[in-house]
Amino acid sequence: MTNDKLIQVKDLKKYYKGDRIKALDGVTVDINRGDVMVVIGPSGSGKSTFLRSLNLLEVPTSGSIVFENVDITKKTGPDGKKLDIDLHRQKMGMVFQHFNLFPHMTILQNMVLAPVQVKGVPQAEAEKKALELLERVGLADRADAYPIQLSGGQKQRVAIVRALAMEPDVMLFDEPTSALDPEMVGEVLDVMRELAREGMTMVVVTHEMGFAREVGNRILFMADGKLLEEGSPDAIFNHPQNPRLQDFLSKVL
Amino acid sequence: MLTVQGFQKALEYWKLFLQGVVCTVSLSALTVIFGFILALLLAVCRMGRSKILKAIATVYVELFRATPMVVQIFVIFYVVFDGVKVLPGYKLFGFIRFDRFFPAVVALSLNSGAYLSEIIRSGIQSIDIGQTEAARSLGLSSVKTMRFVILPQAIKNILPAIANEFVTIIKESAICYTIGVQDIMSAVNAVKGATYRMAEALMIATALYFCLTYPTSKIIAHFERKMSAGDKR
Repeated sequence: MTNDKLIQVKDLKKYYKGDRIKALDGVTVDINRGDVMVVIGPSGSGKSTFLRSLNLLEVPTSGSIVFENVDITKKTGPDGKKLDIDLHRQKMGMVFQHFNLFPHMTILQNMVLAPVQVKGVPQAEAEKKALELLERVGLADRADAYPIQLSGGQKQRVAIVRALAMEPDVMLFDEPTSALDPEMVGEVLDVMRELAREGMTMVVVTHEMGFAREVGNRILFMADGKLLEEGSPDAIFNHPQNPRLQDFLSKVL
Repeated sequence: MLTVQGFQKALEYWKLFLQGVVCTVSLSALTVIFGFILALLLAVCRMGRSKILKAIATVYVELFRATPMVVQIFVIFYVVFDGVKVLPGYKLFGFIRFDRFFPAVVALSLNSGAYLSEIIRSGIQSIDIGQTEAARSLGLSSVKTMRFVILPQAIKNILPAIANEFVTIIKESAICYTIGVQDIMSAVNAVKGATYRMAEALMIATALYFCLTYPTSKIIAHFERKMSAGDKR
């Protein structure tokens, strides 16, 4: 196994109600370090399920996910002990469509909770780091505000740096701009673009085709729980092969 | 008929009433603590993955909610503790008979645990699943997710219902005089036995219970306002 492959997904399946609903139907793909992988496809195609399976928010029916050389779908780790999924989730930051900030905590408290409670970072150090991250997204002055006092775009920027505070090896984005007012989409995409430029490995489920084309280095097209086509932005957007992809692009572009 | 003389006579036994207040307050406070712990356990069992624990907790809750308090307290006192034989005759604060007091705490806690667990369960289930997902995705364990993310929000939402339950506990505790606990109602009974008058003693008891329950609900309302800091724009 080379170290370049950060996540290896093999024949991933997620069935509901016995096997009547196939949300994921055998997805195999490798995610390399530094990849900005954008997953596109019609709604109900299984792209969110795929993303949420990567950190086991959805437990797959079968298949394997090898993250940093550990199969996290197994019950026991490589050391023979019970696999501690929390250990692996720390290294996978996740950003949700609806931000999911903790409403009873200030922005700063939102950001230091996991570093302090999970990694044991001293409070003062965690706060310093949190303020630096907030500074990067232009929200340092809102550190003591509560989430409800922020706009949607601001909330999502906070959600991104909250995940970054754990210093993850990969960031998972689940339709990060879908719940935003149109004028706020840009500020969130800017932060993501910046993150990609710094070399962060990213998996992004989105409907923003402009972003996919510009920032992504690999595009996956999914439909009916299957990975139907994969390629560079140029290949996917300018020379689509699969008729489903051609049809999809004709509707969204 | 209420008379001034009647009140004077009843108030000659002020010490009994004072002891009654101490007893009622200790009884209620201990019930709140043990009842809450029990309720958390029951709520976790009912929402957990184990089918056996779920069944046990469900049967428990339904049983205690479907039977009268007075039956429960008699069963605990006369059956479970079998009279007073198994407990030491030790006296709390020098006057509260432990062998009566303890079974009362047990019975009230078991009862309020059943009610509180339903309140807690509904509170936890009212929190958006996205909160759990965000916490877990940051690497927080399920226990820490509960403690730092879910419970603070859930408790804020259910505080009015909890306050109501606490007030209910204070009021329900009055039934404990039937097994010889020296609470406020038992003071009423003692005055009645000594003076052959009950009306004035009952008025005093009414006032005392009100003075306990009303501030309790006000104090919790204060905390409720404090905890809703994240709600204001």
